[in-house]
Amino acid sequence: MKTKFTKAFVALAFAAVFASCSKSNDSEAVANDPGNYILAVTPVASTGVADYLLTASDLEKGTVSILGNGIEQDGTYRYYVTANNKFFSMLYGQGNPGAVTTYNITNGKLTKLSNFASETVQAFAPVNDDILMLKIPRAITNPLANYYRVNTNSMLIAGEGTINTQTILNNGETAFFSWIKQVGTKVYAPFFSIKACCGAAFGTANPDNAWIAVYSYPDMKFEKVITDNRTSFIGRYFTDGLAVVENGDTYAFSSSVATSNGTILNSTKPSSITRLKAGVTEFDQTYLYNVETKSNGYVITNWTYVGGNNFVANVSKKADKGAYVVGNELAIINVVDQSFKLVTGLPIPAEITNITSNNYSPKDGKTAYYGLNLKNGTSYVYKIDASNATATQGVKVEGGALTAIQNIK
Amino acid sequence: MQFKQILLLAILCANVFFAGAQTQSSSISGSLRSNLGEPVHSATIKLQNTSYGAVSDQNGQFTINNVKPGNYIVLIKAIGFNDHKTEIKLAAGQNLKLSIKVTENVEQMETVNVLGRTVAQETNRQAFNVTAIDAKKLYNSTLDISGALDRVAGIRVRESGGVGSNFNLSLNGFSGNHVKYFIDGIPMDNFGTSFQINNIPINIADRIEVYKGVVPMWLGSDALGGAINIVTGDRYRNYIDVSYSYGSFNTHRSVLNAAATSKNGLTVQLNAFQNYSDNDYKVKVEASDIYTGAFAPAALLRRFNDKYHNETVIANVGVVDKSYADKLLIGFTAGKNYKEIQTGARMIQVFGAWHRKGTILMPTLKYKKTNLIPGLDVTVNANYNLGTEQNIDTVNARYDWFGNSKPTGTNSGERSRSMYKYKNNNGLATAMFNYKINERQSVALSNVFNTFNRKGSDELNPTNNDYETTKKNTKNVLGLGYNYDVKDRWSTTVFGKYISQNNTIGNSANASSLTTKFGYGTAATYFLNRNLQLKASYELTNRMPDAQEIFGDVENQEGNPSLKPEKSNNINLGAGYSFSFNKVNNFSINANAIYRHADNFIYNRLNANQSKLVADNRDGVRTWGGDAEIRYSYKNWLTAGSTITYQFLRNLQMYEPGYTSVSPLYKDQMPNIPYFFGNTDVSVTLKDVARKGNTLNIGYNLLYVHAFWLYWPSLGSRAAGDEKRVVPQQFSHDMNFVYSMAGGRYNIGVEAKNITNAFLYDNFSLQKPGRGFYLNLRYFINKTTK
Repeated sequence: MKTKFTKAFVALAFAAVFASCSKSNDSEAVANDPGNYILAVTPVASTGVADYLLTASDLEKGTVSILGNGIEQDGTYRYYVTANNKFFSMLYGQGNPGAVTTYNITNGKLTKLSNFASETVQAFAPVNDDILMLKIPRAITNPLANYYRVNTNSMLIAGEGTINTQTILNNGETAFFSWIKQVGTKVYAPFFSIKACCGAAFGTANPDNAWIAVYSYPDMKFEKVITDNRTSFIGRYFTDGLAVVENGDTYAFSSSVATSNGTILNSTKPSSITRLKAGVTEFDQTYLYNVETKSNGYVITNWTYVGGNNFVANVSKKADKGAYVVGNELAIINVVDQSFKLVTGLPIPAEITNITSNNYSPKDGKTAYYGLNLKNGTSYVYKIDASNATATQGVKVEGGALTAIQNIK
Repeated sequence: MQFKQILLLAILCANVFFAGAQTQSSSISGSLRSNLGEPVHSATIKLQNTSYGAVSDQNGQFTINNVKPGNYIVLIKAIGFNDHKTEIKLAAGQNLKLSIKVTENVEQMETVNVLGRTVAQETNRQAFNVTAIDAKKLYNSTLDISGALDRVAGIRVRESGGVGSNFNLSLNGFSGNHVKYFIDGIPMDNFGTSFQINNIPINIADRIEVYKGVVPMWLGSDALGGAINIVTGDRYRNYIDVSYSYGSFNTHRSVLNAAATSKNGLTVQLNAFQNYSDNDYKVKVEASDIYTGAFAPAALLRRFNDKYHNETVIANVGVVDKSYADKLLIGFTAGKNYKEIQTGARMIQVFGAWHRKGTILMPTLKYKKTNLIPGLDVTVNANYNLGTEQNIDTVNARYDWFGNSKPTGTNSGERSRSMYKYKNNNGLATAMFNYKINERQSVALSNVFNTFNRKGSDELNPTNNDYETTKKNTKNVLGLGYNYDVKDRWSTTVFGKYISQNNTIGNSANASSLTTKFGYGTAATYFLNRNLQLKASYELTNRMPDAQEIFGDVENQEGNPSLKPEKSNNINLGAGYSFSFNKVNNFSINANAIYRHADNFIYNRLNANQSKLVADNRDGVRTWGGDAEIRYSYKNWLTAGSTITYQFLRNLQMYEPGYTSVSPLYKDQMPNIPYFFGNTDVSVTLKDVARKGNTLNIGYNLLYVHAFWLYWPSLGSRAAGDEKRVVPQQFSHDMNFVYSMAGGRYNIGVEAKNITNAFLYDNFSLQKPGRGFYLNLRYFINKTTK
């Protein structure tokens, strides 16, 4: 009988052996780095995590890693905005509900304050004490965009309503807002006209105009549409094409990426920067910065304002231009001097997978922090110095690709 | 010696072939009873020195057809009984009736499990890594098939909610479509949502066989990681079994099973069942007000859009025990289901009106004949599902967990406005030939053919181009196997499978593509002694992506037309040992070790919006693990058992898309897969309670699942406040009391599930029901005489 028990135990032991092994982690762990910078990192082999949020104390040196660090952000796409010293993480759910998750930083650590389901929105920006969010229709059968005002103090929805996107131009197409911006007490919403129908959802028959719809705030009443025929539309899908500089003037860029059917480019206008003087709700017809001629063949695809009329701009060769192509080169643009200088010190474009579009600048007139995701799998923050158009490699990011760099106090 | 064997083989073969030419065959039928007068089942009845034979059924009945006239010795072997021999003389055309008594062998009884080796346990003695559940022991419970499977070592059934909710069965590290379901050996792929293991009551089944890893060739399909075969069996020729249960969350279930068979073999079989539940159990959820966004991080709220019901009738008419057929049945399965959808892939997404409906309308044909010519068994099955499925999302509003809704102001639906209705038009034909060359050798040939052709339309979006594209798929699995079997000593099988699949995706000229794959395997078992069995099996298995994975299910599965076939090397080692001590304490122990190495491993991940799942390939996934089960019984009134499973799935994809350096997740544990879990049950049977012949059965079941990470384990902070998504540890305690009267004719059962009212989760944030009580009434009557 004893031997039978022994056999039984051997069998059980054999099963137990399996339960006692686990992965031996051979890579050295990188410690958490508490601080006031926030880095959003999309992991490799995502399984439904949009990003991991890391904190960092310094963007100019060291290493941060999402292996063992970072706060998981649900959803495949997340977009981020800071306002009122809070960090808002917006879930983009396409046709599905989105969500707004809010954090602050205490002692260098992100703390969740709130999380609520919302609509998936295609544009959002701080306006007064709110985050204004826009859910924009893309079907000709639905003329109404929804707006929501989320109060950044209470983190509650303070108000909501609808905007008709088909009566702004009355051209048989629908207006699709590229982004929104508070200018003075108004909300400026540059848009592109789209067919929203029939196999050409994002195509247009009106590729050679720029428009900005102006709304009052907080009641979001339509006031006027500002028009210009020297450029194609302002901004791009999900891209902020407006910036307000210190003297109150507003600058706008156009990539000139209107299409006839979503892919075939059909604008005859050059990629340009235009201006609206402070307090004037018209384009300044005396000002036109033709990026293509000034840069000798580049178009602008995105920008970050760093103060002192200086912008760090993502640029690409005109030949590579496309509705969703984001430039893998950076340039310093001074909108007053109308200067254009390519940034040196970056890896060559062929080595770059992408450059982040959500970047931090302390607005000191020269500094911006950009994320570079390289084809060899590594990611770095680069410090861009607009004063001498140079880039310096900063903190290394492990475990995924950078998507956003932000800072809150 | 060898010459003699070959000669013997030749003679046997000759006998077999010549016997086929006989014009007038005879038959033998009869019944087996013990010296106590009880029917003896699972006995083998053989005509000595021939290939004629049969196995007695539950009632001790057996039939051997197409026997050549002559003199024979009938040899009867049954576990727990002495061997029995009878000489007979069979005249041409005669149907000889035998009534045989066998005497119990007390000595044997002591060395074998005291509870007797039922067919279910007999299955466990195959060379394959197989576990059989004797469903009959669970008839007085409210379990469905998936609930019964959840108690098997190596299996974890993950449910997303209450009655009728989506389920995903994981078997030794494989899950979803890696595991194939069969009912009586017929693939269930095309049965639609109205007839699935989460809505079929346990009472439909006689037993459930779980093949882990290597799947026998006769289950002709392209399972990658195992198969589940629900055997309904022809338990009784004339019986009625009816049960009804009512319980928490307004849950009603009824089952009616009945069969009537006339003397001349005309039979009518009926299975009908129904499930209904409001599933309005309370959940702890992160809720926010739809109008204000006010945040309630741990609100306790009732589910309000989760009603489920299904009704199914399966009727078969035909003949049994004819010279041309042991069974020839024409049947029809008709059923429908209705399901409200409370949440998306996450509880944060809540719906208030979205629902779906489905029907199954399926004519079936079943034919089976053993010894069509002596030694040749033939099985043919065919069915075609005419049922429809419909997705209904017509309310243009958003809901919150408090039940408030807010109009979206557009034609948006809740998720995506739809009344899409479609038919998958799937058909299935299977044929299986098994030829017994002699006592020890047999060959088997099987072929399974499926078709799928989805057609649908949406009255709300009639112009949607996606509905117009061709979605067709045909698949054929051809298998050939050879089996060598020395009864109670060793057994081995080798087999090969050839799979071809043709997909037509879209309308273009080159939309059709043909893929073929060849796989093979072997399984062997050896009995060191009567009570110690060793098993080993290996298979190189292939699985084609199935139609749902390629085209989606229009609800929660998004299609992936570029999915590649997956392939896996599966190795299983197992041992089973039973022993007793002091003659009253009986133990049986089973342990299995598994190894899997899958290439192009197909797994479900969330789609780009986390709204649906989408099947995708991972370069490689390696699994090793083991499971063990120990069972104990004391005399005939106490049984107890435990199962434990550990499996470690490791990601072997070295390079992730878009990265040229080695992935930091290379060799990381696969996320979102339970890897350590177990079950314990104790049951006590008290005889002659209150009245002679009445029994009271008290049972307890504990389920444990270790916590596991939702996303890659090595990514993100695990610190308490950092919210790394985890599916928490589960402990679920269930109890049941069953009082049976009049020898099991009347049964009253009371069940308490999740007694501690724990928050149980199988999937991240998708909470399962809390404590529930159920009352089950069952009536069973069976006429045993022919």
